[in-house]
Amino acid sequence: MDIGVFSVCARRFFLRAFLYVSVFYSNGILADTRDGQAASVNAAEPDARELIQKSMDLWRGKTSYSEVSMTIHRPDWQRSMSMQAWTEGEKNSLVRVSAPARDAGNASLIKDRDMWSFAPKINRVIKVPSSMMAQSWMGSDFSNKDISRNTDIINLYDHSLAGQSNQDGHLVYEIHSVPHEAAAVVWGKEVLFIRDDYVLLEQQYWDQDGKLVKTMKTIDFMQADGRTIAKTMRMNKSDDKNSWTQIENTKVQFDIELSSSTFTLSNLRNPRL
Amino acid sequence: MAALESGSPGSQSPQRSARTGTHSTNGTLLGISLQLAWRNLWRNKKRSLIMLAAISLGAWAMIFMPSLMRGMLNDSLQRSFDALPGQVQAHQKNYRLDSSIESSFLVPGAEQQALLSEAPVTHWVARIKLPAVLNSERESRAVQLIGLNYQRETQLDLKLVAGHWPADNSEMGLVIGSKLAERLETGLGKRVVLMSQGADGELAERGFRIVALYRSELGAGDERVIYLGLDAAQRFLKMPGKISELAFWGGADADSVADKHSETALLNYVRSVLDKQLEVLPWYELDPYLASMMGMLDAMIVIWILVVFIAMGFGLANTLLMAIFERVRELGLMIALGMPRAMVLVQLLLESLFMLMIGLAVGNALALLCVFAFRDGIDLSAFADAMAMAGVGSRLYPNLQFTDVALANVTVLVLGLATSLLPAWRASHYDPVQALSKD
Repeated sequence: MDIGVFSVCARRFFLRAFLYVSVFYSNGILADTRDGQAASVNAAEPDARELIQKSMDLWRGKTSYSEVSMTIHRPDWQRSMSMQAWTEGEKNSLVRVSAPARDAGNASLIKDRDMWSFAPKINRVIKVPSSMMAQSWMGSDFSNKDISRNTDIINLYDHSLAGQSNQDGHLVYEIHSVPHEAAAVVWGKEVLFIRDDYVLLEQQYWDQDGKLVKTMKTIDFMQADGRTIAKTMRMNKSDDKNSWTQIENTKVQFDIELSSSTFTLSNLRNPRL
Repeated sequence: MAALESGSPGSQSPQRSARTGTHSTNGTLLGISLQLAWRNLWRNKKRSLIMLAAISLGAWAMIFMPSLMRGMLNDSLQRSFDALPGQVQAHQKNYRLDSSIESSFLVPGAEQQALLSEAPVTHWVARIKLPAVLNSERESRAVQLIGLNYQRETQLDLKLVAGHWPADNSEMGLVIGSKLAERLETGLGKRVVLMSQGADGELAERGFRIVALYRSELGAGDERVIYLGLDAAQRFLKMPGKISELAFWGGADADSVADKHSETALLNYVRSVLDKQLEVLPWYELDPYLASMMGMLDAMIVIWILVVFIAMGFGLANTLLMAIFERVRELGLMIALGMPRAMVLVQLLLESLFMLMIGLAVGNALALLCVFAFRDGIDLSAFADAMAMAGVGSRLYPNLQFTDVALANVTVLVLGLATSLLPAWRASHYDPVQALSKD
């Protein structure tokens, strides 16, 4: 019974990783107006919720294409996976595994709260029932639910600005996010460090006793379409330094033209992209 | 017994009658055979005592072990009853195959409720019982969510080790096992996230505070079962007015598992009142494991007795063979003197029978003594974890059943004699001339 459950913790941690890859894209989108934004941000303390909300809002309604590799590292093994992902707004996304060969071709389509998966080995499209939403996505540490939700962070938490500091010539905001009482969030609080160009530098997950459980850090940055975004992020449990998961963007494109058939079941089954 | 052999006064008369008895009735012959068999039994004391010890131990194992097995099953039954209170329970037909939210049904209407408050029903409750997943910051576990009416669940016997039962059934507070809390690395007053399938087919998930921790002797339940108020559970799962289980009590002794057929009247009454689509079953048929265990145990006991007997039977046959080989000349002489061959056979069988009977008597006494000695239960707390895994508590009460005792004794006697038949038959067919010429 526990094998199936696999540590939802780990999944949630990937969810955030995945989510913030997306947030970083939006940061890239923000870059165009960065100077103006930064000025107003400096003038008055920005609202914490707004800081997160804005980047999410800007990300919505835009399209993206990315090639991502994910590495899961444990003390005695390590595994990597490469994926292509297309997104449109907040609701539509399509992810297709490109390597390793064993998993290549496995794909998931998410439209709002519905999710379908396709496995070339059995040549079937399966609607993922809600009872399976908590199960592993493509054998990874993501749960189906994890990758189909993304705006939880805004709506399920109370955000407050806890402080700011200077780092590498950037202003860095520290935001404390405390989940609502009935929210389906296990954390006691989350602490986010967001740079004034909206790049998330670090996200900390604290338990309800005030102990740090795990941290996601941005390790390096990259340029995509002339914007600065996070390239590599690593999630590390605080009590086990030898276990981590890293997400690396190998290629990112924003605001590309996507065919209207991108997010359809037929495209899920017969890739045309 | 030694006295009997070495010439008690009574030993004279049978010998006299033996002299004259060859021509008299079979009754006298039988008397002689009895006498001879008994004496022969004690000619080689060491060997006989070893064989007696083997038979006694075998008989003891045949009686005492089944009593432990029955005790264990009874314990499981009692626990299963405690865990699933309700002598008779009603579910949607599919529920036992697929305990999902689709197998829920509406609470009985006012008319049915009125009927359910009449005899033979003395009490009834409604519950939600569905699979769910409970998450903490560090761990996640599959659990069974039970939504219940705290006020009406008078039979639920849970010891709270921390916190209090929620004041009313709509409070969004969870009661979980202390072991589960340990596994999840969470505790009283902490928030956990509960996930399950809602009635709308969507994933229902929500944060809940842990308002109480309970401990059950049965480790497995402790780690798996969590409780929530019925109204709160219905709200969480978006299934207002719906439940997955109805449980009924009625008649005299609700706590006893002794007479499992006492609820037939209750069963029939409940069946007549409730919708025909609902599956109404007595509690002991609800747990498929227990139901099959009950059916299997009798067979297991027979197999056990046979296995012990086979080990014992070889020893018995061997002992008798040895006894016969040592007495080839003597047996030949008896036949030569006119002892009917049948009587030789009978005498050897009697020898075996005496051995079996003494062994059985000692074995029965030992087993009864053991059962009596452990009447307060055998403390197995050293293995409590393993026992809990098997659904058994840390105290094992032997349960002696007359049928088991009878079965063991009859098996040993009948099969024991059958085993002795071959050596005895061979001995009774010796050629006296050849036999007498042996050294």
